[in-house]
Amino acid sequence: MGTVSELCASSFQAFLCPSVRPAAATVPDDLSPEERKELESIRRRKEELLHDIQRLKDEIAEVTNEIESLGQSEERKSMQRNKQMAMGRKKFNMDPKKGIRFLIDSSLLKNTSDDIAQFLYKGEGLNKTAIGDYLGERDDFNIEVLHAFLELHEFSDLNLVQALRQFLWSFRLPGEAQKIDRMMEAFALRYCRCNPGVFQSTDTCYVLSFAVIMLNTSLHNPNVKDKPSVQRFTAMNRGINDGGDLPEELLRNLFDSIKNEPFKIPEDDGNDLTHTFFNPDREGWLLKLGGRVKTWKRRWFILTDNCLYYFEYTTDKEPRGIIPLENLSIREVDDSKKPNCFELFVSDHRDQVIKACKTEADGRVVEGNHTFYRISAPTAEEKDEWINSIKAAISKDPFYEMLAARKKKVSSLKGL
Amino acid sequence: MGAFASLMKGMFGSKEMRILMVGLDAAGKTTVLYKLKLGEVVTTIPTIGFNVETVEYKNINFTVWDVGGQDKIRPLWRHYFQNTQAVVFVVDSNDRERIGEAKEELMRMLAEDELADAKLLVFANKQDLPNAMNAAEITDKLALHTLCNRNWYIQATCATTGDGIYEGLNWLAMTIKKKK
Repeated sequence: MGTVSELCASSFQAFLCPSVRPAAATVPDDLSPEERKELESIRRRKEELLHDIQRLKDEIAEVTNEIESLGQSEERKSMQRNKQMAMGRKKFNMDPKKGIRFLIDSSLLKNTSDDIAQFLYKGEGLNKTAIGDYLGERDDFNIEVLHAFLELHEFSDLNLVQALRQFLWSFRLPGEAQKIDRMMEAFALRYCRCNPGVFQSTDTCYVLSFAVIMLNTSLHNPNVKDKPSVQRFTAMNRGINDGGDLPEELLRNLFDSIKNEPFKIPEDDGNDLTHTFFNPDREGWLLKLGGRVKTWKRRWFILTDNCLYYFEYTTDKEPRGIIPLENLSIREVDDSKKPNCFELFVSDHRDQVIKACKTEADGRVVEGNHTFYRISAPTAEEKDEWINSIKAAISKDPFYEMLAARKKKVSSLKGL
Repeated sequence: MGAFASLMKGMFGSKEMRILMVGLDAAGKTTVLYKLKLGEVVTTIPTIGFNVETVEYKNINFTVWDVGGQDKIRPLWRHYFQNTQAVVFVVDSNDRERIGEAKEELMRMLAEDELADAKLLVFANKQDLPNAMNAAEITDKLALHTLCNRNWYIQATCATTGDGIYEGLNWLAMTIKKKK
């Protein structure tokens, strides 16, 4: 039996390293026929096992590969989606209808009034004037969205002015009377559903809401010279309660509330630069060497849309400087004072000032004066990451190089 | 205002004129309104509410309100109709489908007692579009000739370029001065 166990050991070895296989399936002569049979069957099983192992290994490799590429493409896909979403928001802010169309065509938004209303109600990165423009359209579908948008508002236990304040904060009310009319009608419907019994009919609520907007205009728009008194306001609303009058106290309270506190202009978060810096390629603290005065300043850098922006504070809305990356080169450099440095420069034109701009302390925007930007990262890893991201963001405009070459030619000709 | 001050104002100062701007959706009211402010760089505090603009022209201070909406809210406007000297009716000359609707809207407006004395200025807008009806056609479609005891005027305009808007205002200024 000793030989069999030996054989087993050898086949176990082959099991571990299948390349080192016995040259030929030699059969020792001193084996009984039974032993021979057993050996054969062991060998067969070994072959089978080896085969299975190889197959399993291949399968594992394949699956690992698949998982990896799957993860990558998932990541790429979600990045792509984010980019498209950001583009859709920008488009929406410029032209709401086109923006919505784009988002639907890119399958980022379903073409239902509920989904669109949800998107507008969240309002992330959207300009509130653009939301108002979309909700104010006369189109049947837009009106449907307007109603779905109102369904997302909760007005229970709010008085009329409170509810209006909430509603009018969620978008910028357009100034056209017909649009205001549709919006107040939709508002009244929702308000009365949230607060049954407060008004005799939704029409009463609608007309009164409209009157409140008129009041806000009269009292607070500087173009309106004759400001109405509370008497005029109550007189104006006579008979709007299905022919009857509303309680004078209610009207007085409405008047006082609007007089003391105009409707706030909702803040846009789509119009300013914060939108541009939404979802950047990379952001973080870096040290930047000054262009003229060679001091190191700590700046918050944001890399997005092929531009490098830097800010004094992370919360700043306006950048201190903007460096378009077009036609720039990047390389690692050693600096005697700071570790983990890299440089942005114009290759072939070492003394050329890089096209960039910065904001002076007094708010003026001036051209930058860097012939190179030397930047220091906090760690070696971050340096590598920044270099890679910036490399990926640098775009080449062949026209620019052609122009530079031509300029060089002209100046050398002049030299002659 | 004292008697002397009001006399001075009458002679040299500006008159106030309240104008309502009416018209169907997308007729171009807002564009007209903001074209009136042409050349004036005034940064007013934005206000939530209706578009209202003031413009001084030939010593007359025009305050123009964007007015409209369904019949249910008309009682509210009535308070604003009082002391209204003129109605500017903006019509989309290119919209042949809705010109009938525009006419109805205009007639409803003019039927208001408070507007019995108001002058009517019609802007036949969007004249830049190739299929636009001309002023004569619009006059016909809106049945302006059937208006009795109404001082009216029609002006072809293109609000986006501003063409015709000041001609219209000029007519308003002249008629107001003639009357006073």
